[in-house]
Amino acid sequence: MASCRWPWRRCCSWRPAARSPGPGSPGRTGPPGPPAAADGGVQMSYFNLVKSLTSAFSNRYSMSRFHHTTSAACCCSKTRSGEKYIDPFKLGWRDLKDLYEDIRKELVISTTELKEMSEYYFDGKGKAFRPIIVVLMARACNIHHNNSRDVQADQRSIALIAEMIHTASLVHDDVIDDASSRRGKHTVNKIWGEKKAVLAGDLILSAASIALARIGNTTVVSILTQVIEDLVRGEFLQLGSKENENERFAHYLEKTFKKTASLIANSCKAVSVLGCPDPAVHEIAYQYGKNVGIAFQLIDDVLDFTSCSDRMGKPTSADLKLGLATGPVLFACQQFPEMNAMIMRRFSLPGDVDRAQQYVLQSDGVQQTTYLAQRYCHEAVREISKLRPSPERDALIQLSEIVLTRDK
Amino acid sequence: MSLRRLLLRLPRYLGVSGSPRRLWWSPFLDTISSVGSWRGQSSRSPAHWNQVVSEAEKIVGYPTSFMSLRCLLSDELSNIAMQVRKLVGTQHPLLTTARGLVHESRHNLQLRGLVVLLISKAAGPSSMNASCQNYDMVSGIYSCQRSLAEITELIHTALLVHRGIVNLSELQSSDGPLKDMQFGNKIAILSGDFLLANACNGLALLQNTKVVELLASALMDLVQGVYHENSTSAKENHITEDIGISTWKEQTFLSHGALLAKSCQAAMELAKHDADVQDMAFQYGKHMAMSHKINSDLQPFIKEKTSDSITFNLNSAPVVLHQEFLGRDLWIKQIREAQEKGRLDYAKVGEALWLVLGVVAWESNTRSFFRYGWMIHQGKALEGLMWVVKCCSPEVTCIVRNSWTRTCPLAPPSL
Repeated sequence: MASCRWPWRRCCSWRPAARSPGPGSPGRTGPPGPPAAADGGVQMSYFNLVKSLTSAFSNRYSMSRFHHTTSAACCCSKTRSGEKYIDPFKLGWRDLKDLYEDIRKELVISTTELKEMSEYYFDGKGKAFRPIIVVLMARACNIHHNNSRDVQADQRSIALIAEMIHTASLVHDDVIDDASSRRGKHTVNKIWGEKKAVLAGDLILSAASIALARIGNTTVVSILTQVIEDLVRGEFLQLGSKENENERFAHYLEKTFKKTASLIANSCKAVSVLGCPDPAVHEIAYQYGKNVGIAFQLIDDVLDFTSCSDRMGKPTSADLKLGLATGPVLFACQQFPEMNAMIMRRFSLPGDVDRAQQYVLQSDGVQQTTYLAQRYCHEAVREISKLRPSPERDALIQLSEIVLTRDK
Repeated sequence: MSLRRLLLRLPRYLGVSGSPRRLWWSPFLDTISSVGSWRGQSSRSPAHWNQVVSEAEKIVGYPTSFMSLRCLLSDELSNIAMQVRKLVGTQHPLLTTARGLVHESRHNLQLRGLVVLLISKAAGPSSMNASCQNYDMVSGIYSCQRSLAEITELIHTALLVHRGIVNLSELQSSDGPLKDMQFGNKIAILSGDFLLANACNGLALLQNTKVVELLASALMDLVQGVYHENSTSAKENHITEDIGISTWKEQTFLSHGALLAKSCQAAMELAKHDADVQDMAFQYGKHMAMSHKINSDLQPFIKEKTSDSITFNLNSAPVVLHQEFLGRDLWIKQIREAQEKGRLDYAKVGEALWLVLGVVAWESNTRSFFRYGWMIHQGKALEGLMWVVKCCSPEVTCIVRNSWTRTCPLAPPSL
């Protein structure tokens, strides 16, 4: 591969100007509507999501035109003008010292091997992207609510739990996909075998559930239980594929929401519930997490085409090899309809993966997906800007940009 | 005291149906307290067991075989069913698990859920909970307790499914194509996760974080128990780990006792019973499950010696006891002697097992093992039974005593 990274991704020059999203634009997640009650909120926003996903598809053409003609300016930079630069990771880590140590403390396991397996990914080498968002959101909500400068112990627990649920799903996903490396090391299933790996995943999930229950808040339990259900349903969505192109895109975005964004959205919501009684704030937290989460995954799917495996710590083109058509492929398919057949047979014929990759790189699928991610980030920024200003709120704004420019 | 009074209503309720109380309760109670120990005895055939379960189901007013119906109706499960069909003809163990589940549900064997319902009914509403007494209660069981019974079954089934994952690197050519096995693993993980997600969802709906914690910790125990079981049964060289009966008890608690114990406790928590009652329910569930396990471990030894194809788990209770009795060195020697070309002659080990215990006659074999098995838990099992006794009327007490004598040849506890 000639270069590890696409140079254009680093500079922002091609980005569209800040513009409030139109009624059907992808970033917009449906009308804010009446603030949903804590219980109904999840379902409600799910509906909105599907609605917005479908509209995302119908707007595709106008979108691509739009992105070729618009001039420079980062949609995110406006909101943080005048603020000093904040490194969200540095700021977040202040509350997350001993994150992994504390997670390991939750894994009370007597058997050495089982403990070793369960702790394998809690080695401090992960990005801890989710815990960072969660603690920043917690502080942003606390300040918004009563100018409190503290983060509650329960809110910090949510950060741990989010990371644990995420890791448990990684362990199971790797068995399902028969993956052999992650974060630059062998996967649990490759070292210990599938039989034990599945148990390790279950164990981490149970430890997370215990920690969750100990918070002692039934609303929070319900919110995070939704994540577990979404993760499984997302995995099921990934099993099937849709013949209809329209449905295919909606299907892809729904899967993206369930597999990635739901965890971020709902853990953000959980800390907001703990920190502030106002349902409007819960909705802001949820919407921020959802939009950033979807953008995060869209970029992940882009990186699967543009990055090389050394950087990612996992093999690239992995999705194609698994037969999955992600954003870049679906966009590319617009330009190269011959890809349809490949998508339908899940890239199962010899040479399919390579050809699909070529098509994607020739098309503007990567740019289109990145653009879509940008729209989601824009929406996330719009949501979080409704909170009272604080260093943490601005760090969350900053973070949404990091999501777009990350290269691993 | 008022708990006791409330529970006294139970037999009266049974009387309303007009059937003789003994007929209702007697088979039910002895089966519950010694499940599976009756196979091979004509009067206690599987048909009899089914009858007992269906009687018990009448008591709780709920066919347990439909327990997971709600989740069976979902799209995901029909998706799974479609995928599992693709596995037919392969060697993946998920098929066996699925077959077992279908078979089990046809024979109404959702034992864990049933016990949770029974103990809920036995305990009745709490005296502290007088304000919302009989609120959404059907047949003396709260709807949340019914959900809990369902969740217990879901967790049990999920682990059963996850247990059937195969290690891809250890496959042999006789296992069929790698692709089939990969696919089988995928479906097994997904369906297990799906059941767990349903369980989590159901738990969240109970709106009681203590119950969530109890069941989550039961899941943790269960996973560790399954891990132990997998790692001991995977050993090919037939040399068992040097575990004594106390370690055996710990591990069996994790793999078999914890879920039922904690579910029983959670059922009491849902009815707002105090810590004492909760603890008794925990003990009951625990010893109930342990007795069940001991009894099933005894089966290979109790069966008619018709064939020489007797096999048994070398980590089962009688073997572990035997090893402890014999001493580690002698036991290993015995195993070695029984090994021929890498295969273990189970009949030989079984034979040695009997000899060492100095029991010759078949009947007394059975009895001595029974005694042994029961002695392990005598103290605690008593506690559990005592509690049932405490909760029930004099008539039921009498039946408990009878069932105790039948199950255990030792003198019945003084009730």
